[in-house]
Amino acid sequence: MVNQGIRSAKEHFHVFMKEEPVASILRWQTYVLTRGEEFVAFWKSHLQSKERHVLFILARGFDPRMCFGLDHLLRAGGTGARDVLLVEFSEGASSPSRVYLPFVEENLKTMNALVKGRGKISSREVQTRSKEGHRITSRSAGNLFRRVDEFDGYTDVVLDVSAMPRAVYMPLIAKILHIFDHSPKDAPTQPPNFHVFVWEDPALDQDIRDEGVDDTAVYLHPYTGAMDREATAGQPKVWIPLLGEGQRAQLQRIHDLVVPDEICPVLPSPALNPRRGDNLVMEYHDLLFDRLRVEPRDFLFCSEQNPFEVYRQITRAIRGYRESLSPLGGSKFVLSALSSKLLSVGALLVAYDFKTEKIDIGIAHVECHGYHMDDATVKSLPKDHGEPVGLWLSGECDGR
Amino acid sequence: MREPRNPFRLRASENIEVDTTFVRLFGPGVLDMLKGDERLATRIIRSAPGGGKTSLLRLFTPGPLLQLHAHRAQEEYVDLFDQMKALGVVTDQGVQLLGIMLSGDKNYAALADMDLDVNRQQRLLFGLLDARLILAMLREMLALRRLDIQGNLDRVTLRPTGNVVEFNGLSLPCSGSVLYDWARNRENEICEAIDSFDSEGFAAVGSDSITALAVLKPEALFIDGHQAAERILIMLDDVHKLTATQRGCVVKTLLNARSSTPIWIAERLEALSADELLASGTTEGRDYETVLLLEDYWRHHSRQFERVVLNIADRRVRAVSSVELSAFGSCLQDALDGAEWQPAFERALDTIPPRVREKAGRKALFAEWIGTREGLEGTPRERAISWRALEILIERELRKTQPTFDFSLDVDDLEHKDDSSLKAAAELFLSREYELPYYFGSATLSKLATSNIEQFLWLAGEEFEEVVSAAVISPTRVADLTPDRQEAIIKRAAKSLWDEIPRRAANGRSVRTFLEAIAVFSRWYTFQPNAPNDPGVNGIAILMSDREKLLNPSYLAKHPDHAVIAQVIASALAHNLIDADLDYKCKGERWMVLNLNRLLCASYHLPLNYGKFKEKTLPELVIWSTKGFVPPKNTSTFL
Repeated sequence: MVNQGIRSAKEHFHVFMKEEPVASILRWQTYVLTRGEEFVAFWKSHLQSKERHVLFILARGFDPRMCFGLDHLLRAGGTGARDVLLVEFSEGASSPSRVYLPFVEENLKTMNALVKGRGKISSREVQTRSKEGHRITSRSAGNLFRRVDEFDGYTDVVLDVSAMPRAVYMPLIAKILHIFDHSPKDAPTQPPNFHVFVWEDPALDQDIRDEGVDDTAVYLHPYTGAMDREATAGQPKVWIPLLGEGQRAQLQRIHDLVVPDEICPVLPSPALNPRRGDNLVMEYHDLLFDRLRVEPRDFLFCSEQNPFEVYRQITRAIRGYRESLSPLGGSKFVLSALSSKLLSVGALLVAYDFKTEKIDIGIAHVECHGYHMDDATVKSLPKDHGEPVGLWLSGECDGR
Repeated sequence: MREPRNPFRLRASENIEVDTTFVRLFGPGVLDMLKGDERLATRIIRSAPGGGKTSLLRLFTPGPLLQLHAHRAQEEYVDLFDQMKALGVVTDQGVQLLGIMLSGDKNYAALADMDLDVNRQQRLLFGLLDARLILAMLREMLALRRLDIQGNLDRVTLRPTGNVVEFNGLSLPCSGSVLYDWARNRENEICEAIDSFDSEGFAAVGSDSITALAVLKPEALFIDGHQAAERILIMLDDVHKLTATQRGCVVKTLLNARSSTPIWIAERLEALSADELLASGTTEGRDYETVLLLEDYWRHHSRQFERVVLNIADRRVRAVSSVELSAFGSCLQDALDGAEWQPAFERALDTIPPRVREKAGRKALFAEWIGTREGLEGTPRERAISWRALEILIERELRKTQPTFDFSLDVDDLEHKDDSSLKAAAELFLSREYELPYYFGSATLSKLATSNIEQFLWLAGEEFEEVVSAAVISPTRVADLTPDRQEAIIKRAAKSLWDEIPRRAANGRSVRTFLEAIAVFSRWYTFQPNAPNDPGVNGIAILMSDREKLLNPSYLAKHPDHAVIAQVIASALAHNLIDADLDYKCKGERWMVLNLNRLLCASYHLPLNYGKFKEKTLPELVIWSTKGFVPPKNTSTFL
């Protein structure tokens, strides 16, 4: 029996675990999630409670939401540095997103104007392809930071994923969490608070479509999920895709990679549009039921708006499967985040949590060559449409 | 397991999880390409996505072979069993071959991204391959005896052979358990480093070469004291998933090893890649038989392909209990002989002959030709085609720059010129002018598949969907799809393929613009009133010397617009949107012919034949990829 202490924001628990080291208390059993007005109020309170030095990490992109989170943070007041680290990545000379370069320039101008006099701006680059041309985005993003001393002097690190592709922000969130969780206990200062921002706008999400989807799916670093192990090739594989609109090619390619024995698609419910789950089933009807042979009873339903709820539901499902499938010698799990960024973060937290228990969960993903925005969207880009959402993942919320 | 509602939706080999189903649905004609190769010699197998290479490899693994042997007396399995027996893979007594299959679609490429020097990366690559080959071998050996790997490893022995007395520090003979532990530990060590947040301090060593080849021999592998199998075949699938450097090094190592155990190396076809397999150290014919290009094979054996895919289709429809069909083709009407089409042909016969006479004018030149047609007997369709063909021939004669004398052209001349190609062009023109269906029937469906089994299954699935749906409404009657209904389904599928190009292909928008230009040009050229290159063109060609330029990095650096063309063509090839015939000899030159995917042709009413194309230069293609093709003014076209 293994005795493991798990801390939450408010209480200390000790739990006994079985031989297979799965925590019965979730890392984010209790969580801090703010949105809309609550988000604004939280940050005013947080930044004005004492001097806080903030490192704001965001991606350079055409998405109009690129600077919304930064803008709100700066308006929340308080004292201390407000430094910005710009993550840059190139989709290639022939990327369809290049037509949106004017929007990128506009966003950069906005960012520079916002930060002027408040802090420093630096940048780091994510390589998307190796010299031989294969994808290395997730490994490169995971290597943007390597040590906790790279965050010396900051009390808060905010990662805004609004304009960031999944292949960048998922490994980046995981790596920063890992660095902070494994910082020396005897260090003079504690690692900073770690927050994730998302500007939620489902309508805009649907208007920005992937283009030039890669031929094949890959596992995001470092979440191969032991799917590649020949020693355990006979273990049943369970694939849990979080469904979103317009992802048919991606679904097919991920399926071809994973070749699962069981599929548990996740539908967003409850959702702002109560028919969204039905619409998704209709969109993928032939794929799900005729080709992939999904059984109706295998669907999972998770809140569209709460990534921690997604985290809990999926964690529970995985634990249930592990227990049921243990007589077969074990099982493997793969998640695919084909839904909103918010829910994708929830999926990442599942994988991160299990990995800390040395249980590998895979995250399968398909990158794309670029993006395309509908002309109507391009012409009438929304201002402040949607709402900010903040997740506080580690730091003082853990009782540090 | 739930019976498939539409069995054509079970497409990829991996999706057919049950070996019995997989074997039952496997078309035996596929093995024709291995006929005579009883040694199952070392070879490289290439295909586009969905070409069938993984299915072919999977057939040679223990699971399917055991099922095939168990069901060998059943009608559905007899042909396949006989084919495999002829290859020496199975006998009536049992399975003789141990097929060991490994996929290159694992984390090998990630080794190249770790902060390690090149030599260490290579050693780790070989180390990982070694471990996985041993693990796969143990699993498949036991599977051949219908034993699970758990609890049975001690029944396996690896014995010394020749001068091989040890394996990676393990003295031989050694038990399966010891071998398994060694391989699993090595795999875990390397994979944990690949999947770690920090790979610094990673100490695993790896191997100098793929040492497993030395022990993967029939005389070395024993279960319960008996030799595990008479023969072994090692199969590496998806080798294109390795990095280019890894692939070159692995293939070279495998071929240079000159193992007595044959090795199949399967990868995706990329016609614009340099052929690394002919590098020094290997000798074609000595080390491997040939490169087997699946689609190329089927293109040159199109009748065989048709038989194979229709056989696969027949097997699938028989798997559905809700629809009583024994042959897929019987649910597709394949002729326009029905009464509903006769009015269209009658209209053609009312309009074309007067048009022909008007074109001929008062010249005696065509008098005998016209006279022959006026006396023609046959169905309205046959007569309409003959008249339309005559119209084309007269157009050709009138366009000749050298005027002929005004005496009647010989009827024998007409019969000579009125060949099957001309008739096909006439039929195409008629269908266009009188809105008659053109894309229907099982033979046409197999052509639309463009030598790709998965594309055939998709199209057949779309058509079968209507049959299944009709069965819900009228369970006692099996629907057969009319030609116009089939064509509507085909054109819908074609549109979805066009629409998906920007989403699926790298440089998707440029690829689409380029392919549309080929299609628009082909349509413009095909429907010239004199039908040049009958029955019509559906592709282009560039000189092989231009192809060499597109492969030359220093040339492309100086001509960035040609570099874009290279990327566009490579992307289109990778997605089977075009296929390439290399070294095609024509007009004293050698050409790379680029044929449009046949399904794409359906959106532009193009014929589905091969062998008709127009030569183009690189500057022309540059214009096409950016601006498309605009038909020249002052040219007539029948559209």
